[in-house]
Amino acid sequence: MLQQMFLTETTQDLVSINWTFIAQICNLFIQLFLIKKFLFKPVREILAKRQAKADADIREAKEAKDEAAAIKAEYEQNMLEAKEKANELLATAQKNATAKSDELLREANSQAAAIKQKAEADIAQERRKAVNELKDEIGSMAMEIAGKVIEREISEKDHAKLIDDFINNVGNA
Amino acid sequence: MVSKGIVGPKVYWTIDLPFEVPLLGSKIEINETMVISWVVMLLITGLCIFLTRNLKVEKISKRQAVAEWLVELADNFVTGNMGEKFKKYIPFIAALFATSIISNLISLLGVRSPTTDLNTEAAWAIVVFIMITATKIKTNGVGGYLKGYTEPIAVMTPFNILSELATPIGMACRHFGNILSGLVINTLIYSALIAASAAVFSFLPGILAEIPFFSIGVPAVLSVYFDWFSGVMQAFIFCMLTAKYISSAAE
Repeated sequence: MLQQMFLTETTQDLVSINWTFIAQICNLFIQLFLIKKFLFKPVREILAKRQAKADADIREAKEAKDEAAAIKAEYEQNMLEAKEKANELLATAQKNATAKSDELLREANSQAAAIKQKAEADIAQERRKAVNELKDEIGSMAMEIAGKVIEREISEKDHAKLIDDFINNVGNA
Repeated sequence: MVSKGIVGPKVYWTIDLPFEVPLLGSKIEINETMVISWVVMLLITGLCIFLTRNLKVEKISKRQAVAEWLVELADNFVTGNMGEKFKKYIPFIAALFATSIISNLISLLGVRSPTTDLNTEAAWAIVVFIMITATKIKTNGVGGYLKGYTEPIAVMTPFNILSELATPIGMACRHFGNILSGLVINTLIYSALIAASAAVFSFLPGILAEIPFFSIGVPAVLSVYFDWFSGVMQAFIFCMLTAKYISSAAE
């Protein structure tokens, strides 16, 4: 019976146009819909997501880079400032030290000068004192010599002028 | 395949219509072509669902890589042959190519391929033809489209109409002819090989004489051309022509 069914099976002509034509048009559009829904839509979605993610990653990386650059610039600025400050401090210290040493020197100089002046004044005074003493001694000595010469006492008071002249001559000599 | 002979597709079930439709006839026959087409559609859709299951943004699976590659392939094919402005045709061309190639290659499973039925190619070609015409009318307007038939001179009008109609007929018949010739030649070769086997090995005792030894191997070699090469080639040519005709219609 099975064989009979096969033997009597109907077939279409090898080349004919029939309702299959309409069915195949429908099939093509159904296939289009299915392939859109099950292949293109999900894949496009995932590709768009990946694109968005890649964009976000790139943006983030750029932001991080910018941030790092900003931090670096700030750091460099700080370093520069610190260096300047250090230089300034050094310069100030140097200036101060110079000023101080100059002052010290000046002070020492003036002190030395004062000491020298005082010493000179002392010396002059001593000299004057010595000259006076010498004057007195020489005066009395001259008086004694003159007394002996003229064998009489010469009043010191009367001849004081004469003696002074003599001594002055001696002192100037 | 052998038992079928060289005939049209088997009819499984007939629906009688109360009226006669010109060209299509008065009865809808559910035949091999339709059933195998549905199988093809199921295969393609199943493959799509399988490939796009569990899609991820990172660390993609091999399945996903294949799915993305297919989409990119379709994108590149359409944008490469038609240009950027025809992106909306990508799914259509992809559906056409997938249906065509799977329909052609399903004959490897020993079933009758739907593309050995002219109805299939005619259906595709008419859809493409409508798209070409729609693109032409959209680009030049109805007047411009009709005027196109009288160029370069009015005398050329009949020839222009003929060449216009030749486009879908040529596309359908090229595809159909190639695939059908594969079927015919394969059928003939099978018969010939069986006959040759029977003649050469008739000296063997009993059932052994009836085994078609020559049918082992030889048809596989032939199927490399008639099924694989021709099948892939015709699917490619059909889609290429579709792309070229539609894009040139927009000029």
